[in-house]
Amino acid sequence: MNLRRWIVVGSVAVIGLVALAGVPAIAHHSAAPFYDATKRVAAQGTVTRFLFKNPHSFLYFDATDDKGQKAEWQIELGPAASLTRTGWTPETLKPGTAIKAEGQPSRAEGSHGMCCAKITRPDGTPIVAGGRVTEEQQPPR
Amino acid sequence: MMAWLEGTGLATWVRESPSLWAYPTILTLHTVGLGIVVGASAVVDFRLLGFARRVRLIDLSPLFGMMAWAFLLNATTGILLFIADATTKSRQPVFYVKLSLIFVALWCTFATRRIIREGNPAPGAESAPSKGGRLAVLSLLLWAGAITAGRLMAYL
Repeated sequence: MNLRRWIVVGSVAVIGLVALAGVPAIAHHSAAPFYDATKRVAAQGTVTRFLFKNPHSFLYFDATDDKGQKAEWQIELGPAASLTRTGWTPETLKPGTAIKAEGQPSRAEGSHGMCCAKITRPDGTPIVAGGRVTEEQQPPR
Repeated sequence: MMAWLEGTGLATWVRESPSLWAYPTILTLHTVGLGIVVGASAVVDFRLLGFARRVRLIDLSPLFGMMAWAFLLNATTGILLFIADATTKSRQPVFYVKLSLIFVALWCTFATRRIIREGNPAPGAESAPSKGGRLAVLSLLLWAGAITAGRLMAYL
């Protein structure tokens, strides 16, 4: 192999390595870097804010745990453009709405975050009836 | 300043519109433009490194015009994506890494264009100019780095 061939092979290899370094993140924009898919967490409370936006929406709600500790939870949801297609609107979850949520906990130590959550009324009934997705919301993507 | 940018009607539309023509389309165009800029640039770079030697370097020069239009598309869609989330993105170190890599990569592209317009080696010439070869390797690495930094903005 001549020198030029080596330069080409070498630079392609380096580019490949640079790309590979990003692969776990790039592969499918998984939620895994931020949320632990092997665990489940649940909470119940009232909505404080619903940020209906791209590229990810966020739902905040105040909840009290078994020990009486109050915390504000954050649920990461799909983009506004996708939620819309499942029947959700910015008005679907007004502040004060009582909800129950169960999903994957955030990996951040001491935080109250979840993703890929099933969100329902406290009695388990769906929040939006008849949408393509009634209660199980998409994971971030 | 960043909060003001983020609060403009245009930024709010990009961020909050439920339409597929808003954020998803802008992000898609940003990716298509990236493909053209970096793809065309890679064609020139690989030619400089000795691939497809029967193609005269000067015959590749119209690709620079293509890169310019695609870059314009990406600067535009990039600004839209930035203002939609200006307060967060302006605080991300990896965003400035991405911009720096793009600026140096652009410098490489201009330098490569100069070499090609001045050099004009004959078809089948044995060797590409060695300075062109070094620029080509640098350009490939810088664009790969810029793409990586851009993608990492979603995670860091």
